[in-house]
Amino acid sequence: MKFLRKENLETFVEKMNRDSDIFYPEHNTNGSYSWARYEKGKTLSITGHRTVLPLKYFFFPPAENLKEKTGKPAIIFGARGCDVRGLQLLKKIYLDDPEDIYFRKDTLVFSADCTSCHQNCFCTVLGDEPWAEDDFDLNFSFARDGFLISAGGKKGNEILKNNSDLFEEASDSQKMEMLNARSKTKEYLRKQNEDKKINLKVCAEKAGENLDVFEKYAQTCVSCGACTNVCPACFCFFLAEGKENKIRYSDSCQYPGYARVAGGANPRRKMTPRFKHRILCKFLYRPAMQEIKGCTGCGRCISGCQGKINFRDVLLDIQAGEKR
Amino acid sequence: MTADIYKTMKANVEAVVDETPLIKTFVLKTEEAFSFQTGQFIQFTVPGEGEAPFTPSSSQFQKEYFETTIMKAGRVTGIIHSLKENDTVGIRGPLGKGYPLKEFESREILILGGGVGMAPLRSLLLTLLDEKDKYGRIVLLYGAKNPVDIVYSGQFAGWKKRGAEIYRSVDKCETDQWKEKIGVVTELFDEVKLNPSKGIAVVCGPPVMMKFGTFKLLEIGYKPENIYLSMEKNMSCGLGKCGHCALGKYFACKDGPVFKYSLIKDIGDIWD
Ligand code: SF4
Ligand code: FES
Repeated sequence: MKFLRKENLETFVEKMNRDSDIFYPEHNTNGSYSWARYEKGKTLSITGHRTVLPLKYFFFPPAENLKEKTGKPAIIFGARGCDVRGLQLLKKIYLDDPEDIYFRKDTLVFSADCTSCHQNCFCTVLGDEPWAEDDFDLNFSFARDGFLISAGGKKGNEILKNNSDLFEEASDSQKMEMLNARSKTKEYLRKQNEDKKINLKVCAEKAGENLDVFEKYAQTCVSCGACTNVCPACFCFFLAEGKENKIRYSDSCQYPGYARVAGGANPRRKMTPRFKHRILCKFLYRPAMQEIKGCTGCGRCISGCQGKINFRDVLLDIQAGEKR
Repeated sequence: MTADIYKTMKANVEAVVDETPLIKTFVLKTEEAFSFQTGQFIQFTVPGEGEAPFTPSSSQFQKEYFETTIMKAGRVTGIIHSLKENDTVGIRGPLGKGYPLKEFESREILILGGGVGMAPLRSLLLTLLDEKDKYGRIVLLYGAKNPVDIVYSGQFAGWKKRGAEIYRSVDKCETDQWKEKIGVVTELFDEVKLNPSKGIAVVCGPPVMMKFGTFKLLEIGYKPENIYLSMEKNMSCGLGKCGHCALGKYFACKDGPVFKYSLIKDIGDIWD
């Protein structure tokens, strides 16, 4: 593990910025975080928690002309653990046979541990950690005087090697500081999710039958698609025919016409089966087929829901096996 | 760089055949070599307008050109219906998995079709007939609403000659021109002796017909793992990426579109 002094961050970022566009989580005055493009003179900060919009749109924009990729590759500096886990599923879908060449796999992920959490975050309730454990190029953790950095693969190691003048070997006390910072964040998450325990196995077993729960929540869903749009693991799109090339639009299984076929038949015409499909997709279908769950506990769906549905509570209800 | 999986290949419309007032068959010749296994589907693109999924309706051994039979049902199919000979269109595919013909060898094969569902089944039937010796009996039960709705009406006699046993029904017929069965397609089961415990059954048609057809097959003793259903889903990418065709945990475009009933019977709403 390497160590980068605080005062050297800017030099490192400047060097990386030469061949790449860098995006980082900018802290807004209302307390939220949004992706911002780094420019010389800006202070890049990677503390905090997940951004309002997920990481996925750096890999496939919400509306995209499917023709040659243009622009420099991007570096996402300060991606959160939840988003990186979501990306694992997206990669399985887009890159597994046959590979979708438009998926921006040249985007580099420099993840950073969460140092705070959003009020809707529940990654730890799903058994995940508020940091990325793999699938990053570099991961940044926090110590008093700087950052502890681990490389997650060939590209990351190369970056460390090419900039070796900036890095030191991390000391044991710095590693201790990092662990302390991590437990502090976990403690925030534990507090805000106190008494919320989710056993995904139990949920998966009960989800198939528990129509009552789906019916209850579907009542307030207005099919706006906000939940799927902000989800870091939702991948669905609609392939349209443009004037010269195909266009990909992000789509939502919560829209009424999503599954309708040409003759008009629609297996999920009603809200309840649509709502159920989304939940089962995340906790049953993707784990069965892609071996990754489709929820990362980032809670963006809760923040975005126009019908005030709390998806963490949906899981708790399913688990309880009856209406609460 | 790997290939663009969404790229279409150009195809020329060689001929357009009117089948019924709402159904036409398009004979297509692709610019590059193209072949498929019966049961697989293609995306048919009208450049700049849109694309929609269809199954070829010709034999997989027919290589110089292929045919696809399309019912006018919406915007894209409306545009497709206005295509003329020598128009240029786009093709993506073949997509999905075909019928596992190896498993069909030396067995009795029952083909149960309704309406335009005959299109993919015609491809299967012609493919089977091209290698008739490999299989047991080939029995086709086909139903349509009215005699005018029967697709490929001029071709059944030829299929019979090549060795298929054929039984047909129409739901209703106002005149007395129709000499065969009147009633829903499942009533044809009374007219033919089958070997359900060992046989294979393949079903394609409108959702209601698929549902009651499958129930009938089960009732007379077909095993769930020997019943094959062509699942019509809203395909967009056709490659297991976009999620549109979700059928429970499966993507119908990639894991299907042909499914053994045993694989999907526990998924709710498969008939809708
Ligand atoms: S869900 Fe967890 S990993 Fe994601 S932002 Fe919140 S605390 Fe961080
Ligand atoms: S049509 Fe896109 S996943 Fe099946």
